[in-house]
Amino acid sequence: MSTLIEFDNVTYAYPFPGGGHIAALREVSLRIEEGEYVAIVGANGSGKSTLARHLNALLVPDDGRVTVAGLDTRDQAQHATIHRTVGMVFQRPEDQIVASLVEEDVAFGAENMGLPPAEIRARVAEALETVGMSAMRLRPPHQLSAGQQQRVALAGVLAMRPHCIVFDEATAMLDPAGRRAVRAMMADLHRAGLTIITITHFMEEALDAQRVVVLERGRMALDGPPETVFADATVLCTLGLDLPPAAGLARTLRQHFPALPAGLLTVPALVEALDALPHHAVAAPVAMVEPLRVITEPLIEVRNLGHTYMLGTPLAQRALEGVTLDIAEGAAHGLLGATGSGKSTLMQHLNGLLRPQEGIVRVGEYTLDDPQTDVRAVRRMVGLVFQLPEAQIFEQYVGDEIAYGPRLQGLLGDSLRERVRWAMELVGMGFNAFKDRFTFALSGGEKRKVALASILALRPEVLLLDEPTAGLDPASHRELLAHLHKLRETGITLVLSSHQMEDVAALTGHVTVLDDGRSVLDGQVTDVFTQGERLRALGLSTPVVTQVVEGLRARGWTLPPGLISPTALSEALSRYILSTD
Amino acid sequence: MHDFEFLRFVTIGQYLPTGSVVHRLDPRARLLAGFLLLAAVTAASRWTGLVMALVLLLAALVIARIPVGYALKGLLPPLPFIAFLAVLQIVFGPRGDAVPPLWTWGPASISTASLLNGALLVLRFAALILTLSWLSFCISTTEIVRALDALLAPLTKIGLPTHAFVLMVQVTLRFLPLLAQEAERIAKSQASRGAEWGTGRGGLLRRARQALPLLVPLFLSGLQRAENLALAMQARGYQGGKGRTAMSPLRFRPPDAAAVALAAALALLVIYM
Repeated sequence: MSTLIEFDNVTYAYPFPGGGHIAALREVSLRIEEGEYVAIVGANGSGKSTLARHLNALLVPDDGRVTVAGLDTRDQAQHATIHRTVGMVFQRPEDQIVASLVEEDVAFGAENMGLPPAEIRARVAEALETVGMSAMRLRPPHQLSAGQQQRVALAGVLAMRPHCIVFDEATAMLDPAGRRAVRAMMADLHRAGLTIITITHFMEEALDAQRVVVLERGRMALDGPPETVFADATVLCTLGLDLPPAAGLARTLRQHFPALPAGLLTVPALVEALDALPHHAVAAPVAMVEPLRVITEPLIEVRNLGHTYMLGTPLAQRALEGVTLDIAEGAAHGLLGATGSGKSTLMQHLNGLLRPQEGIVRVGEYTLDDPQTDVRAVRRMVGLVFQLPEAQIFEQYVGDEIAYGPRLQGLLGDSLRERVRWAMELVGMGFNAFKDRFTFALSGGEKRKVALASILALRPEVLLLDEPTAGLDPASHRELLAHLHKLRETGITLVLSSHQMEDVAALTGHVTVLDDGRSVLDGQVTDVFTQGERLRALGLSTPVVTQVVEGLRARGWTLPPGLISPTALSEALSRYILSTD
Repeated sequence: MHDFEFLRFVTIGQYLPTGSVVHRLDPRARLLAGFLLLAAVTAASRWTGLVMALVLLLAALVIARIPVGYALKGLLPPLPFIAFLAVLQIVFGPRGDAVPPLWTWGPASISTASLLNGALLVLRFAALILTLSWLSFCISTTEIVRALDALLAPLTKIGLPTHAFVLMVQVTLRFLPLLAQEAERIAKSQASRGAEWGTGRGGLLRRARQALPLLVPLFLSGLQRAENLALAMQARGYQGGKGRTAMSPLRFRPPDAAAVALAAALALLVIYM
């Protein structure tokens, strides 16, 4: 094996407006061999993306040296060769697409290389075949799902026939099926001999790699195979990271069953280890306690809701059809579904941003299909937090940003101040510490909390959250979940859409699954997640606890239904596994 | 009730790949034909020519297999603006000297000549919008860019940076729909925080302040996207037009030449009829 990329004592700082520099990489030395599969992880601000951009000369070091296939990246004349040796797939699919037809976009890089037309056509066809998008070659990219767009972007890189592909958080915005497809492609390309470097916030994706590099504040903190990097949960936590979900579950179970070996990182490994413990095949059945179902009038009622975008034009697009669901007061309701299944459209009906074209939507006392209904009152009652809400921040100071809504409601002086303080404390931001901070200087996680507080400050009775944890690093993710848990205790009704099955399992009690604009599954979260096969067919997945249960059942364990939390699982297992003392 | 679908009836900028005869022409031919018609509509001075142009455009829409009703709806959003201009033209336009005005009040007057001018203005705008819509239904942004690139190529010989100009056009065209979507998202998001658009209350300063929640995030995300796109293009080896090849080189065939010639003839007809 020969060295493909070498970092020698690399330091890089971003110039800061008004003079000064922020160091993003400090004295990083790293060597990546041809054919390796490397994952780079780290909290927000750890320098991952900066490092990624040094891999193919998008940035060049202030100090130290980066060589790609022996070429120094500071030599401008070599950039063309470097760009074609190391390709890159970025986070936001829609921002990296240049052309208005899939095929032409895939050709862009090859055209830049100045290849003859016949050669470009052959490469484009081959690249589209590799990512399974040949059938879509004449479609405009913006009509594709985010996962498909990401595959088109990958095809564009493949058409340049690089030696190495860098994936810069390329799965962050994708639904489970899209993420599975991109991960499978990374593995295939690696098997085909390419060097793969992936930058990710998902620890389970880092497990796919042979080597994990952890960055902390611009420095290399850990570097090794996944087994050693993920061995110590406490160290990971101080680095702002997490165990992969299966490893976290294994750690919890080990506290109850010390006979479990350490270092279990994946679901299959955990299932095998549990099965290897001495256990009864069948446990004494427990009397099932039927949960008390108090039938009350639901707070939100949706009946046969249909919606078409661009209605009455040739571009009309059916978004919802016959959607029916109930949400009880004070409940936490999850919405699941692949990208484009209609979750966001449905949410926008629940606070009156969209009026029903067909069917009935009732929220509390307001019937939204009645044109007389005051939508402003509905919007006051139901707060909607959009996906990536930090993109909508516009004030200079945190306090003003959060005060915007209540001020429009007519709050002034002390009552306004108190309202802002209350909202900030709900998301764990000290009023005095944060109110005069500049919004633009906050971290990604802090911005997300400001955006959440700015909706909470309106004191909604219902809170709609569209992908609240998307794109957050593990530490901010953990913290936001904890605040949402606390929020539930205030009695607010939560409606949450997410591609993170773990979040849905942890937060919600009831789940509706949408597929292609229709509500296809609806029930208790414990019931819905037992239908693993069905969910996978719908482009979704299941939380790790459910996956472990499924694995054990396949090995003959007769576990009771409805296990979804780690505690419930360990309780159930304790009636099978023989105590070793 | 506000409708947040800003793009619903904006027909300029919507490409409809119907695969018609028009769509199969060389993009240079389509672009030239479109420009010739635009020039003719702008230059036409008589109502007969403009009416003729409208009839031609309807025929062109049918040939390109574009739903005519949809294309006509594209006239609706700018209608208030056109009506306003027409009224200005009728009331304050130049007076015909030969005929006495029908009505006067200070500097304002209405005469048969100014009425005719107003009608011409409405016809001209309708024809202009339809021509632009027709062009954007029939030619995708990538094709516009490639056609422009090829048509302007001779100018590089005299040292003009035509490729940089074409790239600018390309990025603008690609971002317009994205920015419109983004504006829709931000407007919705601020509306759910209690913002009301267009209530029209308060003074100028206050109204300008009301626009901030929409404009600041839109501007920031525009910059962010532009930067992301620049990086993505750089990563794919883009270094300007030098040494670039094309997957499917453009080919100008006899039917393309015939189409351009036909457009030129019709343009002359529109101007001199």
